Amino acid sequence: MTEATDVTAPPEEIYDASDSLVVRKRKRKERWGRVGFWALIVLIAIFLLFPFYWAINSSLKTEPQLRMTPGTFIPRDPSTGGIDITFQNYEAVFQNDAFIRAVINSTIVAVTVTVIALVIGAFAGFALGKLRFRGKRASLYLILSMTMFPQVAVLTGLYAVILNFGIPAIPSMILSYMLFTLPFTVWVLTSFFQQLPMDLLQSAQVDGATPFQSFRMILLPLTAPALVTTGLLAFIAAVNEYLFALTFTTIEPDARTIPVAIALFTGQVARQEPFGEIMAAAVLVTIPLVILVLIFQKRIIGGLTAGAVKG
Amino acid sequence: MALATEEKAKEKKGSQSELAKGEQRLAYWLLVPTLVILLAIAFYPLGSVFYSSFTNDTFASEVETDFVGFQNYSDLLSITFAELPQELDDSGQPVIDPDTGEPEYLSPVQVLPRQPRAYREVFTFGLFGNQYVLGATDADFVLSIIDTLIFTVTTIILEVIIGLGIALVLNVPFRGRGSMRAAMLVPWAILTAVSSRIWEWMFIDTRAGLFNIVFQNLGLTDGQTAFLANESFQLPAAIIIDVWKTTPFMALLLLAGLALIPSELYEAADVDGASKWNQFTSITLPLLRPTLAVALVFRTLDALRVFDLFQIVFAQSKYSMASFAYYELIDSQRLGYSSAASVVIFLLITIFAVVYIRSLGIGEDD
Repeated sequence: MTEATDVTAPPEEIYDASDSLVVRKRKRKERWGRVGFWALIVLIAIFLLFPFYWAINSSLKTEPQLRMTPGTFIPRDPSTGGIDITFQNYEAVFQNDAFIRAVINSTIVAVTVTVIALVIGAFAGFALGKLRFRGKRASLYLILSMTMFPQVAVLTGLYAVILNFGIPAIPSMILSYMLFTLPFTVWVLTSFFQQLPMDLLQSAQVDGATPFQSFRMILLPLTAPALVTTGLLAFIAAVNEYLFALTFTTIEPDARTIPVAIALFTGQVARQEPFGEIMAAAVLVTIPLVILVLIFQKRIIGGLTAGAVKG
Repeated sequence: MALATEEKAKEKKGSQSELAKGEQRLAYWLLVPTLVILLAIAFYPLGSVFYSSFTNDTFASEVETDFVGFQNYSDLLSITFAELPQELDDSGQPVIDPDTGEPEYLSPVQVLPRQPRAYREVFTFGLFGNQYVLGATDADFVLSIIDTLIFTVTTIILEVIIGLGIALVLNVPFRGRGSMRAAMLVPWAILTAVSSRIWEWMFIDTRAGLFNIVFQNLGLTDGQTAFLANESFQLPAAIIIDVWKTTPFMALLLLAGLALIPSELYEAADVDGASKWNQFTSITLPLLRPTLAVALVFRTLDALRVFDLFQIVFAQSKYSMASFAYYELIDSQRLGYSSAASVVIFLLITIFAVVYIRSLGIGEDD
């Protein structure tokens, strides 16, 4: 399956001698191969996208529609069976103060984490990627091993510190998220700095620029694309974080972030879980993330593989 | 003596060494913030977790904290195997279940030791016609380790197979390949908490849920299966949810790895008349090995610390190692005990990482 032929455009020689039996056989085989290939593509697409479609579908249903059995693949009126879409779940989510607050909290936390991790990570990445000093290899290994650090291992320790000193949940989250964003940004930015050509840096040195000047005026602008990619990945990781967020907001519900709010989602009235509203909230937080990811998709794939393929 | 010659060598270098010194000093200053932060949020708390794992510390308690040595660890990890004897009636004959015709066994509670510490059943299993029980002083934690390991191994195998399949399909140029690659980022971009809730809804125990609709239409069930509450469906459900979320990521990594394989190799193999399967096993797989190795390490370590999915979907009806430690901390407020569980998780993951990196030879070319 790895051959580099273009399956949508069959090779020309088939048309040159279409009356030959061998070629006709081959043509048929190729056609079936193509059908199979597209069937696979469709299957993969369904596998990837169906759960999200199901969430959208459910978010457009009323409570009675959600309770219809069997569930319908598009929102339908329970009695007539006609298509019947409602936006009341979305209205409810927009009026849900806890959810709105969670969106704000998540934005504050993730943006701050991203900025700090990028700035500090760029410092360290420059040092590790471009400067010569003793203990470089050890620092690199230390930071690489930190990218695999299990968060749960420090959970009790961090929580005890936070309780003892009474640190509010939002700064606690910002600081503790450095645990997984910082090693990652340092690691990726180190490899980016390593790839940057030295001659620019050297000519700047010849012109009398201090190392810090050459860092700020030459390297930083050149690494802007890398910073965007790394920043986006750090941002998504910070929005996604759940263990620390859930633990640190136990006694401070107002500081809950999006994942915690979604996990603990309750409706306006206390009753069974309001899955229509949960699905609406799920769709609402997913759409901006997906748009963000699609805009930067080339860079993200590059960034993910820079971290992994090159190791 | 050695110092003096070093001094001299430095003097000879003159301004060169001044520059190198300046560079070194700058490097240290640039690294300070990173190291200070990591010290504060990783090494210090890790140290305090190690320390409190040897105490009986609890939150919101007036009781003085005592040093208890390895008590927490032995409570967490003590296990015992016992054979379940057949149940005998008054005349000494084995009791046979009239429905199944199978002999009946004593229940694990009657067999497992209760003194000095009570052991509870983790699971029972049959081997060579005998019934055995695995008992543990903390059955929940031992089961969470077993479940997390099963979860990890199964998800990784499925992810590699499905991810490799998707990568091979998408490696063929076709119209719409760009959109497919974009679609692959969707599961990855969905927050884990969100995907857990979406799948929780798809697995719901009525025919409003997708899986119950499908299974009933296939004539397999009555459409009322409680996938998330029924012990035998819990792990498979968790595995499906995780595979959906992380396979696209694996496929993207492998796709990038495939792009690095020069196409000349396949052309040469075609000329030599090698079959596609041979090309796959002798070109694709070996050249994909480094990519696979790195992806495997990261995914394994990720799966071992799984938390979001288990906590959201199962709460306390099925634990992963991490969600067990969380509930011990937050619900039971047992700081010392939870710390010990965290240390066990940490050591387990470290062992995995070291063994993996050694055996796959990552970083050897460095």
